[in-house]
Amino acid sequence: MDLSAALGLALPLGVGLAAVGSGLAIGIMGRGAMEAMGRQPEAIGKIQVAMIIGLGMAEALTIYAFVNVFVLQKFLAH
Amino acid sequence: MEAAAGREGSSLELPNLLSLLTHFTHNEAWRRVLEEGKWADVLFTWAVVLFLAVFFRLASRRRALMPGRLQNVAEYVVQSLHDFIVGVMGPQGEPYVPFLGSLFIYILAMNLWGLVPGLKSPTVNLNTTLSMGLTVFLYVQWTGIRRLGVVGYLDHMAGEPRDLIGWAMVPLMLPLHLIGELAKPVSLSCRLFGNIFGEDILLAVFTGLGITLLQLVHVPYGGIPLQLPFIFLAMLTSVVQALIFTLLSTIYIFLMLPHEQHEGGGAGPAHARAARPESA
Repeated sequence: MDLSAALGLALPLGVGLAAVGSGLAIGIMGRGAMEAMGRQPEAIGKIQVAMIIGLGMAEALTIYAFVNVFVLQKFLAH
Repeated sequence: MEAAAGREGSSLELPNLLSLLTHFTHNEAWRRVLEEGKWADVLFTWAVVLFLAVFFRLASRRRALMPGRLQNVAEYVVQSLHDFIVGVMGPQGEPYVPFLGSLFIYILAMNLWGLVPGLKSPTVNLNTTLSMGLTVFLYVQWTGIRRLGVVGYLDHMAGEPRDLIGWAMVPLMLPLHLIGELAKPVSLSCRLFGNIFGEDILLAVFTGLGITLLQLVHVPYGGIPLQLPFIFLAMLTSVVQALIFTLLSTIYIFLMLPHEQHEGGGAGPAHARAARPESA
């Protein structure tokens, strides 16, 4: 298996696996936020801000894998 | 249109004013400097700085007690940032509001710059975000050394050993803290770069898709604006990422400042709890 084939297999798989972890994190955080908002509707604004910040942090980990694709892309030469 | 779009390796970009200039004048020297030497991003950075300087200068030109519209907007922005940062750091955060507030406005302006047709976000380049990440990192370390003293700074890095267990854990805590501190600028810069770069590529790919769709039905020019929903997503991501960068910088400065309570065993869990924001 040469480098192009190995990278072509590994890079999208890596991004997908990172997305699984991020999806779980966002789901758990969203559930906590929704429950808190339902329990105290007057704090919805503050909870929303905190949730958005948490979403940005969880998304960052998938973005690291995504950036790796563009760094290693030059080895995918045909 | 697609010929004027930038193609370095296979990262597709929407054309901006400078790339159109180099494409239509066929000037090889300009193309080498602007595209490969990445000076186009530096020029867009200067354009952002110029725009912000002119905007805030105009807003503060005649400081009336009953503000006009522009001054009102600027006052709202400054007041919100001040309340936000002091809300995170407490009243000791007052001296850091100018730096962190300017960081937020600068990053937000740079992120939104690329959504204007013909302009490009400088944050699409890793060098821009890495420079800001390194600035924040050096500022945090400098603040630590200045506020805690050199001995206090090393004490903070070693996990503040107070009892025998604390001293025994110093060979573990010191490298852990050092690596954590070094991971901060890397994570800050890569997060901002990855998000804005990803959005840019998304916009470029969907714009190309819209053009290709019309070419399939033999319409030679124009395209369906398929990238419109992603422009709204890019606006949200720009604001969120600027906010996250600023919030994390605030928290890093806050963690470096001297804490109020210092029980011997209590410092351990406090540092373990504080280590978690550093790892993402």
